[in-house]
Amino acid sequence: MATTIERPPTGSLAPRRRLASIVKSPAFARVLFPISVLVFWLASIAVIRNIWPFAVDVLPTPLEVADAMWGEIIDPFVGGIQAPTRENVYFTFYRSLIRLGIGFGIAMSLGTIIGLGMGLSRKVDAFFHDWVMAVLAMPALAWALFGSLAFGFGNTGPVFTVVLAGIPFVIVNVREGVRNTPRELFDMATAFHVPGNRITRHVLLPSLMPFFFAAIRYAFSIGWKGLVIAEVFGGQDGAGWTIKFYYDAHRAHGVVGYAFFFIIFALALEKFVFEPWSRRVFKWRPNIAATAVVEKAFAAGGAGAAIAAATLITQVDAVDFIDEEDEPKRIDVDEPDDHEE
Amino acid sequence: MATTTDNAATRVTGEELARRARRKELRDRWMWRILGYVAVLGAWEFVSGRFLEEALLPGPTRVIRTFGEIWSSGKLPGAFADTLTRLFIGFGLSFIIGAVIGIISQNRWWEGYFRDATLVGLTAPGLIWALITAIVFGNRIWGPLLAIIFTTFGLVTVNVYEGVKSLPKELMDMSRAFHVPGAIRQRHIVVPHLAPFLFTGMRFGFSIAWKVTVLTEVFSSSSGIGFEMRVSSQLFQMDEFLTWILAFFLFALFLEKVVLQAFENRFFRWRQAVSAQ
Repeated sequence: MATTIERPPTGSLAPRRRLASIVKSPAFARVLFPISVLVFWLASIAVIRNIWPFAVDVLPTPLEVADAMWGEIIDPFVGGIQAPTRENVYFTFYRSLIRLGIGFGIAMSLGTIIGLGMGLSRKVDAFFHDWVMAVLAMPALAWALFGSLAFGFGNTGPVFTVVLAGIPFVIVNVREGVRNTPRELFDMATAFHVPGNRITRHVLLPSLMPFFFAAIRYAFSIGWKGLVIAEVFGGQDGAGWTIKFYYDAHRAHGVVGYAFFFIIFALALEKFVFEPWSRRVFKWRPNIAATAVVEKAFAAGGAGAAIAAATLITQVDAVDFIDEEDEPKRIDVDEPDDHEE
Repeated sequence: MATTTDNAATRVTGEELARRARRKELRDRWMWRILGYVAVLGAWEFVSGRFLEEALLPGPTRVIRTFGEIWSSGKLPGAFADTLTRLFIGFGLSFIIGAVIGIISQNRWWEGYFRDATLVGLTAPGLIWALITAIVFGNRIWGPLLAIIFTTFGLVTVNVYEGVKSLPKELMDMSRAFHVPGAIRQRHIVVPHLAPFLFTGMRFGFSIAWKVTVLTEVFSSSSGIGFEMRVSSQLFQMDEFLTWILAFFLFALFLEKVVLQAFENRFFRWRQAVSAQ
């Protein structure tokens, strides 16, 4: 519906109409959203204070939340009153990111090995398949609680959770990447006696690249979500531990403020790391429909949701992996054309 | 050997060979699959009580025995019912909200309005919603419901919006040219086109929703699977903990893969008939 009013070249329009065109633009709506959230927040505080005081336990005001966030940002060590050793937001995220990095590294390397094996051999595939799907569907909460009980407080539990939360995504993606390497190119390379390492470098790796990228993206974001849960139960510091600290202290402004940090962190990661990176990864083959679909689907939100929907429209083999990631039952090799035609 | 019979014979054996090879492959797959089960379950059973204490990692046999105990204690149906009620109300609302946002995103203004909301819903960890709603609402019923809605509506919206982007332009143009009222246009063009996307959104959303339900119950409920998990983990009863989570895991998988899939197949029978023609 491209019926928005085009801005005329000169100021010939009456200011009222120009105002209308601004109000009707999607960009204005985008700005309006946070404002309306704020208004809703203030209104519900007013309602709770005056009309319906027993509806909630505690609802912090935006000002309190902003204050809590500001304190986290500027103080080197916040909250001398409650706990002198508690660190500010940079430290906690730094510690969490180190754990995430370690777990992510383990998940990537182990997952690549298993994924390669599963892609190359049907026997290995049959061996691991059901268990990979089971781990994929398991909630991170289970790993987090188990890790905290089995390994105690510290780094092991959270890292363990990151590994188990992230590894199935790596395995599935790498396996699909191997399966989607163009067979003709392989055959031709062998026919022309191209040495093995050059086949790996010029045929296997480039065709694996998009799948690796997807693996990294999913493993990272799912690993992060698992990590904060694990830190709640089995951590002594880190971002997840800190939000739980505020929760236990019943400081709602701290919980909401920290939640904002989480949101900002996730959005920044998406905007400044994964989006530019995906543009670079996919730049070298802009014309291939498959990668375009993959990329478009990523741009839609990074949760892998839209991607299966995209496969409904475009029957491109290369995006099949996304279909399978969340629908393990469809992976059965025996019936490959089970997608909608 | 005459050439004609030879030809026929080789053809038959060719088919036969192919069939045999396929059968062998199938048998191989099943053998390796069973081997996988044996290996993993065996390793689990072996590690429990030897490398890790049985109190820490109860083996599969122990889990099955505990399941029998919990089943006979009669706690199981009540906990399942509580969790499932929350899950269905919460995810039902979330699905409606997500679908409505997706559908009104046909208008670019609304798309812009909800764009950041969807992105936040997709990227923010479920934990923060669980904690915020727990601290704001205590153990009132709204807490878990809101947490489920905030965590899953984005998945539904993204899928529906993906369908909106591929709406059949000619049909929309034609309906506009013939002055078809908006409501009828939505009913007869938009919604049928979006149906598969709605289902995809439902399945993805559900797979996240049950996990978030359990997570919120850990913090702000006094009944349900998550609550039982928290209690058993705080009492250090790993066997009960594993039993609860595995029981619900299997049940949720059953809902997700069997029930929803069957529902979807039924719903789209007409489409399969079309493609079969």
